[in-house]
Amino acid sequence: MMENVLTLKNVSYKYEGSKKMVLKNIDAAFEAGKVYTIVGKSGSGKSTLLSLISGLDVVTEGEILCGEIDLKKVNRDNYRARSIGVIFQSFNLLTNATAVQNIVLSMNISESPEKDKKAYAYNLLERMGIDQETADRKILKLSGGEQQRVGIARALAHNPQILIADEPTGNLDVETEKDILAIFTALAHEENRCVIIVTHSRRVTSIADVIYGIQDGKISVVK
Amino acid sequence: MYILKNALQNLVRNSGRNLMMGIIVFVIIISVVTALMINNTAGSVINDYKTRFSSEVTFSPNMQRMQEEARRNSTGGTIRMTPPPAMKPEELLAFGQSEYLQKAIYTAETKGNSDKLKAIDADKGGGGGIMFFRGNASGNTEAESLGQQYFHRVLTNYYEDFENGLRALEEGRFPENINECIISAELLENSGLKVGDTVTVTSVLQELGGESGDMNYTDISWELMIVGVYADITDEYNNDFMQNAYTNRRNEILTTFETIADKMVEGFFGIDITAKYYLKNPDMLDAFTAEVRAKGLSDLYDVFTDAGSYERIVAPVEGLKRISITFVIIVLVFGSIILALLASIAIRERKYEIGVLRAMGMKKMKVVLGLWSETLVITAVCLIFGLGVGMMVAQPVTNVMLKQQIDAAESAQNNNSFSPQGMMTVTSVGMGRVGGGMPGRSDAEPLKELKISLDFITIIEIIAVALFLSSLAGIIATQKIIKYEPIKILMERN
Repeated sequence: MMENVLTLKNVSYKYEGSKKMVLKNIDAAFEAGKVYTIVGKSGSGKSTLLSLISGLDVVTEGEILCGEIDLKKVNRDNYRARSIGVIFQSFNLLTNATAVQNIVLSMNISESPEKDKKAYAYNLLERMGIDQETADRKILKLSGGEQQRVGIARALAHNPQILIADEPTGNLDVETEKDILAIFTALAHEENRCVIIVTHSRRVTSIADVIYGIQDGKISVVK
Repeated sequence: MYILKNALQNLVRNSGRNLMMGIIVFVIIISVVTALMINNTAGSVINDYKTRFSSEVTFSPNMQRMQEEARRNSTGGTIRMTPPPAMKPEELLAFGQSEYLQKAIYTAETKGNSDKLKAIDADKGGGGGIMFFRGNASGNTEAESLGQQYFHRVLTNYYEDFENGLRALEEGRFPENINECIISAELLENSGLKVGDTVTVTSVLQELGGESGDMNYTDISWELMIVGVYADITDEYNNDFMQNAYTNRRNEILTTFETIADKMVEGFFGIDITAKYYLKNPDMLDAFTAEVRAKGLSDLYDVFTDAGSYERIVAPVEGLKRISITFVIIVLVFGSIILALLASIAIRERKYEIGVLRAMGMKKMKVVLGLWSETLVITAVCLIFGLGVGMMVAQPVTNVMLKQQIDAAESAQNNNSFSPQGMMTVTSVGMGRVGGGMPGRSDAEPLKELKISLDFITIIEIIAVALFLSSLAGIIATQKIIKYEPIKILMERN
């Protein structure tokens, strides 16, 4: 039996100043080597759950365990920098910097031991289908698909075991979406990473090994 | 290290905004460099003048009180002004024993003739007599020693010429003990003497008699050992008239104060003692005045420091200093406000970037450090160029401003050129004479130009100002960034 890389135990969350729980007593487990998708209507709490898992926010009740460690007890900056990779729908890259600079900066923040970070970044981008010429362009000069590939490369730059993606294909055309999904599948099945994707898209859920559904702040296993 | 590297890359990436920030910092730094250079140089000059002028005490006869005294003592409708009572040497020495004084410098001078010294230009006769002159061409001063004609000035502590390079010790040493002296090489050679020889110097002290005006005399003499000889490139005579052996500077005998003071006889004139008192602080004047009054200084004397000269000379520079420091304050206040606003706007513009960096796991302090590094680099570049440009513009700016201040000071002085008391003033006080002079005026000319220089203190101050400006931006960045949560920034953006 595979060990859980991420476990949610009785997680509840409400926004500051609000009395209403957005997430209620959520229990979920995530293993390495699988693609998970979290589906649900807008406002169901999917993105909130993602921000809790990615260490951008803190649970109101319950606990999130990364391996055996409670996220409340670790430095969340270090957790984000080293333990997980986050891919955003709107890419969230440094637009004035080049693709390769985005990757190198991420490696610097995570204090990556790689000696030649630039070469490593080019190599990583090439694996994502970005050649060196494109890698040296500023983000603003790249297409949406290219930007998302850079976003994935950046998330992988510090070699995390958990990858979290929020609507990663939401801004992409169908062809590009296929390419990106292929990358996610390969990352889970070939590189034994845990890929968690929040999505509305049926095409994205089609690659999932496990599908979680969220409704009214409660989670359930759909597949 | 990557923080600095990233900061440098950001400077290039956001060149437009950074250029604007740089221009503002540059202007602030040039203004501060110029103003601080002016301020500090002016400050040094003022301090120098304060030391030289403001703290020197002057005893001045008060003409108004002297007239009142004369009126009180008038007989038969005739008002006869008499000089104020002369201060006795022992009084001058007593005045110098004060805790308010930084130092008291005494000098003594008398006239003398010698058995072995053959004066230069003795054929022109002697001088310095109190009552009358008598011709002499023999050159042998011994023969004339009892007359009222002298061939030598015997001086103490007159070593300014040595400090100014006009005289230099050629052999031996300066007098240190009582009954030691040095003379010029010409006088030594003319007299056929050598260092180590002893000469006898004689003089006559005169007593001012009672109401009858009778004169009494007493002889005094010294056995002076020549301990040194000096080369002299000063002019032999100070002027073209009254040229005789006595006024010839080659015939001067330089000795110690104690040597001359030792021969003073109470009530007799012939030895002039001059005292200069320097207060520790000009504010101690009142206390010192009370003390010297208690020690016997007549009410007919006023006691004051050389404030007139100080004001006349230093007022334009003080005006310049005030303007420059006001300018620095205005520039810093307005500059800081502008920079704070710019920094605030810049942080707001970069909110998304900060959110991304924080989402990637960069710690808040590292984000702040990055932003601060950018401002520091901008400030450092502006500092280097600002120092250069500031140094170039400081002198012309100073010249223009100083000229305006001088014109203003002269205008003010012309409007206020009368002394409120109309007094005769003495800047030195001697036994047996009351010298007159311009009221409280120093010979020094008012400053016509100020040589601006960049000293170490100014550089430190400018660096401190630059650090303050860049830190201000850093503090604003810190305050903003601490409030930012990456999730909120990114959600807003999305």
